[in-house]
Order: sequence, then C-alpha cells, then structure tokens
Amino acid sequence: MPIHEKSLIRPENITTHDELVIEGVDVSGHWSTFIESRVISDYNEAMEEEIAALPGGENIHRCWQCGSCTNSCTVHAIEPRFNPRYWIYLIRTGMESELLRDKDLIWKCVSCNKCTYACPRDVVPEGVMKATAHWLEMKGHVPESPSMTFDKIFTEQIVEHGKIEDTKVLMQFLKRTNQPLLQDWLKQIVWNIGMRTPVKWGLKSAWNFVFHPRTRGWKKAGAAIQDYIIEVEQHHKSALGVDKSTAANSNAQQHNLHAAE
Amino acid sequence: MSKPILIVGGGPAGLAAAHAVASIGHRSVLVEKAEIFGGAPIQSGYAKLVPSGLWAKDAIGGMVRRVENNSQIDRKLNTVVKTFDGTPGNFVAELSDGTRVEAGSAILTTGFTHFDSVNKPEWGFGLFPDVVTTTQVEQMISSGKGVRCPSDNRKPKRVAILLCVGSRDRQIGREWCSKICCTVSANMAMEIREELPETHVYIYYMDIRTFGLYETDYYWKSQEEFKVKYIKARIAEVTSDGKQLIVKGEDTLVKRPITIPFDLVVHAIGMDPNVDNMTLSAVFGVDLHKQGFIARKDTYGVMGATSRDGVFVAGAAIGPETIDDSIAQANAAALNAIAAATGNNLQAAE
Repeated sequence: MPIHEKSLIRPENITTHDELVIEGVDVSGHWSTFIESRVISDYNEAMEEEIAALPGGENIHRCWQCGSCTNSCTVHAIEPRFNPRYWIYLIRTGMESELLRDKDLIWKCVSCNKCTYACPRDVVPEGVMKATAHWLEMKGHVPESPSMTFDKIFTEQIVEHGKIEDTKVLMQFLKRTNQPLLQDWLKQIVWNIGMRTPVKWGLKSAWNFVFHPRTRGWKKAGAAIQDYIIEVEQHHKSALGVDKSTAANSNAQQHNLHAAE
Repeated sequence: MSKPILIVGGGPAGLAAAHAVASIGHRSVLVEKAEIFGGAPIQSGYAKLVPSGLWAKDAIGGMVRRVENNSQIDRKLNTVVKTFDGTPGNFVAELSDGTRVEAGSAILTTGFTHFDSVNKPEWGFGLFPDVVTTTQVEQMISSGKGVRCPSDNRKPKRVAILLCVGSRDRQIGREWCSKICCTVSANMAMEIREELPETHVYIYYMDIRTFGLYETDYYWKSQEEFKVKYIKARIAEVTSDGKQLIVKGEDTLVKRPITIPFDLVVHAIGMDPNVDNMTLSAVFGVDLHKQGFIARKDTYGVMGATSRDGVFVAGAAIGPETIDDSIAQANAAALNAIAAATGNNLQAAE
C-alpha cells in the first residue's frame, strides 16, 4: 500500500534494524523499515491557562482555528514552519511535546501585528507569541534571550537610579552575554562619538559614568516600581508553577509532561 | 357540532395542539401511551431547556397542567390507538382501553426515540460505565445530584462530549442531522463547567451546527465565557486502560492520531424515528419518509398534512425538531385539523 501522507513522517521516526527477529520472523535490514507511531498520549492540561496568565496570552481561548494569523504572517512567508495557528492549537489542546519541537522558532515573531489586525476573534496572536516565548523562557525550555537580558539590565538601572547610564547598560549587556568588551564595531562607534563630542559634554558623561547619580526624589518611586515588578513577576511565576530556584536553570526533561495522567 | 380532534402523543407538540384546539372551543382527545404527559423532556428528565433556560419540569410541566385543567380535552394515559378508519369529518378510532372515539381529524404528535448508543459499540457505551449519553447527563443535572462518573460517583476532571452519535452516520443508517445536539451539548458543557469549574470539557465535532440565534448564546458563549474546548476530530474508539477512559481518534486539524484520557465520555445522541412508526404507519394509513419518520405530504401547501387526508403530523414525528418549532408546527396542524374536521376545504398551493 502506498504511503499517502509522506510529509507527516518525520525522519527520526523511521527506523531499520540491522538485526531484529519478531516472533521468529527475521525483519533485519532496510527492507523492513519501521515507522514509529505518531500518537500523542501526553498532555499538559495547564498549558493554555499558564500562557493566558502571561501578558499577551489573555485571549488565546477565543481562537477558532481559521488560520488568518498564519496566512497574514510576515515570518511564515519566508519560514513555513512558523505557524501561529498551529501553536495556538497545540497550546489549547495541551500538546506540550509538540510545541517544544518548535521552541527555537517561536521567538522569531517580528511583532508586525498583521495577525492582530487579521484575526476575526481578537485573539491577538502577536501577544500569544510573545507570551509563549516568555513561557518557554520561564519554564527553562530555552535559555534567557539576549533581549530579556538587556531588559533586565535596563530595568535594574531604572529602579536603582531613575535613569540609565548608556555605557553601563552596554558594558553589562556585553558582560552578561559573554561578549568581549572590545569589539571593532564598538571601538569605531566610541571613537567616532568621542571625536565629535564637545569637551564639556564628554566630561559630564564621564562624571555620570563614574558616579551614576540618582534622579532627585527617586528613592520612593524606585521602591514602588520595584514592589510592583516583584508582585507581577511573582504572579506570573505562581501561575506557571515555577519558583525562583527552578525558573531559569531547569530544562525540558525535568518538567512534568504528564499532567493529564 | 363537529367531532373532536384525535391527538396522538402527549409531548410538547401534542400538548400544544390540544391547547390550540381547545382555545377556539373545539374538543379533542389526547392519547398518550406512557403513564404521564410531557413527552421526552419529562419522561427522560431533561434539565434546562434551550433557549429559554427554564427547567423542563417547569416549562413543559406548565403545558401539561394547562391541558389537565381544560375540560375541552379528553385525556387518556397508558393508551394507544389500535385502529383508525373513516374519512375526514368521520373517523372512528378504537383505543387499547376498548373505547371507541369518533374524531373529525387526527394529529400525530408521536415524536422520536432517542438513539440507542449500543448501536455504536466502538464508542464504548454499555461496555464502560463512565460512557453515558446526553440524556443521562440531563438526568444527573435535573435530579440535583450533579455530574458524576457512574462507576464510583467521583467528580470527573476531564469530560469529552462526542457529537453526532447516531446522526450523520451512514454506516449505521442514520443519515440525518439531529439538529439540536450541537446546541444541547454546548449548553450542557456550560452547565458542567458551572457546576464543576475545575473540570475541563472538550467537545469533539465534525461540524458545529448551533444554527440561527444559538450561535452567540451557546457556541460562542461556551468558548468565551466557559472556556469549553472544541476539537475537530473523528473518534475511532473509546476504550479503557483500567483506570480511565481512553478516547482514540484522528485530530483532523493537526493531522495526527490522538489518544486522550477522560473520566467521563458523553454521547450526544441523536433523534431516531419513533420505534412505533411502522405500527403508526399501518394504523393510520400514513406514508413514512424513507428515513423512517412520518412523511409530510408537501412543504408549502397544507402545514402538517400527511399522505392521508384528515391526518396531520407535527413535531419530531416528522424529523429531528426543536421543542419550540414542534409547538409552532402543532399550532399549524391544529388549525388545519379543525378545518378538516369541520368540513372546510384545505386548498393545495399549486
């Protein structure tokens, strides 16, 4: 019998055995090719609610699978595996293992929001993509993204000082993402800026870099913002069932994929 | 004075027809084979009705009381019609209790029979106690006991409602859409979520037919407010691993086989022709539709006319029907039945 849906067979599911005997029948060799079952039997029932608890994911339950998001998607046009409709479906049905196969694709959303306008059900797929990428990071399925690292450094400085010090943000970002401080492109930028900056501004910048003064009256405001950030983060973590110790470092294997059992 | 109208079947359509006939001062004989009036909604213990949201015992119960308090209506329970002869204006019926009824015309409001899920054995009904029908869940709700797994009375954490059980299924000769099950299931899913907010409810469908105004109040509401999940999948079989029910099928949206554990599987059973239709056809001399329901003579001429002059039909006896449309048809049939009984000519729309 011919195989009709060859596209559904994943290479890793095709197996041959150099030596295999089943019930006395020798089925060794390439002419006894086996295709492993595609049956999914593990479900994470909580996945939809977890992603709905993160910013952008709130409307995921409204999806009716029309596919307008994928059809309008900028990324899908050049990367057919980028399929928001499919991922929303996997999330809603709890097919976590299937979603994780695409964990290195989901963050590629460029937030053009064409899906947001195409969606007839106000699902806001762009937000769902953002929430899903966030979820993957929080669950430890993917490492912290550089943009998340940058956001954290940025936020830390704001909370502490009420303003950022550009040089410090950049230096810390390079350090935390394990990049050398002295890079040719960076040296070029610094050199060019340095040559064009009036001496007075240069001195002021240097003074700010060394002392990093706080915005006047910032202490209370900074504390309030910090409290709010902690509160929201805690809310997200408890919605996802991840506490501080496991959040960033755990990996996919440690997570319970058998919630439905 | 013209003769009374013989109304066969005391469900919503029959009760409506009897009241309609009485409302213009005409007499009727209402014959019901069961020991109580009310038809399927009462005898099968339905819970809240679509679209009113009223409990069946209140809504249909009101129709029963209205008929029971009307002296124009001669009521006969535990009774069936044995013979029926004559012509419009002069029919004679012999009942199972031995009485002889002279009737000017007759209205068949004999309804339907719930599909028996045993006829779809691969979906587990009769094999596993936690595979139930929508009728059973209606009874769990209407009795106040709540939705529970029959095997051990536990609250189900995961419920699957399978649509089109005994409908749109050529394999077992049920080619019709039973019309109401999608809406009833959406309503039931919301009722389950309301009673058991922690319970996940999935509806497995091939198409959703929450027709007309039901779209917003049932299809959308169940998803948006009650987070009921709709999965487009055909179920191959319902089995068990000894602990839970296992639903196997093909998810046709993601093109892959699925094997999903559930605590409770609900068959959204359809409407079969009344099991007595062959007898009714012979007794009243009316033709049946090829699917086994009572055939209408025409669509646009005389509402509810059958192949026999002076015998009319209304409600789910014609085919799967909602309660409100059954009542509308019964009123139309009542008008035509009185016209036939009083010798007025019913003109075909040709």
